[in-house]
Amino acid sequence: MSPLGNYVILQSGVPERMHFTDDHVEVRTVTDNVTLKPKQVNVQIFSVDRLNGAPVAAQFSTMSESLYAKFAAYLPNQQYRNFDFIVTQNGSGYTTRYMVQAIPLTK
Amino acid sequence: MTRKNQQVETRMVSEYLVQQYSKFPAMQAVPLGAIDNALMATAGYQKAIGLSRPYRPEADAIVILPNYLLLIEAKVWNVVNGLAKLPLYKSLVPTTPELQQYMPRDILMELVVGTTNSNLQTMATQMGVSIKLYNPAWLQDVVNSMNVYWTADYQAERQRKLAMRKTLGVD
Repeated sequence: MSPLGNYVILQSGVPERMHFTDDHVEVRTVTDNVTLKPKQVNVQIFSVDRLNGAPVAAQFSTMSESLYAKFAAYLPNQQYRNFDFIVTQNGSGYTTRYMVQAIPLTK
Repeated sequence: MTRKNQQVETRMVSEYLVQQYSKFPAMQAVPLGAIDNALMATAGYQKAIGLSRPYRPEADAIVILPNYLLLIEAKVWNVVNGLAKLPLYKSLVPTTPELQQYMPRDILMELVVGTTNSNLQTMATQMGVSIKLYNPAWLQDVVNSMNVYWTADYQAERQRKLAMRKTLGVD
């Protein structure tokens, strides 16, 4: 979590359990790690209302294609609202791996 | 030119899980196998898992069913590789620390493919693997585009575009 609690920031090896309420894609300008030049990227953003069981009002974002692909099937009709997701990041840069666990919520 | 990373098999698994197993907890990209005891002792559990991550095989998905763990591998190309991996991955499940909380459970195996044939079915039966067909329209488009890539017409057009790019100095 960021110091003000506005963003969920993953740390390597630390699982974060989140519940998403909304999503959108934003275009952001970032500095390319290799060329050090600015470039535009699409960022998938989720609104998070629960983090590790505690209520929050935060955002979780990713530009990772592989992480996005793991969520993609849950985006239509906001099906992600019916699940908690535990995301565990390992490594950094090009070697980053993400394990995603979807846990259906019982009503 | 930037080639877009389509994450075809990841998307395939994700959709298949939502379609078939949305009532059960499901994990994607699950590392398998034991962690070195000496590393665990010196680095601690969490760090040892992180350090070992690049060297451990990874299952596309595991579904936690009430009495079983279901091991899933999805393949669009090289489907026999996917089939061959599953029994090997199954052998690693009992020693995987991340899965200890779900054990003991019997382990089932599914290979998710866009197309199948009788030889694949025969091999799968022999290995105790169920073949599951998942072939949405977008996947068919991906497969078709790959097939077109190797045709003479497509290659001629590609060479023409590459030459034009070089002439115009565009990246």
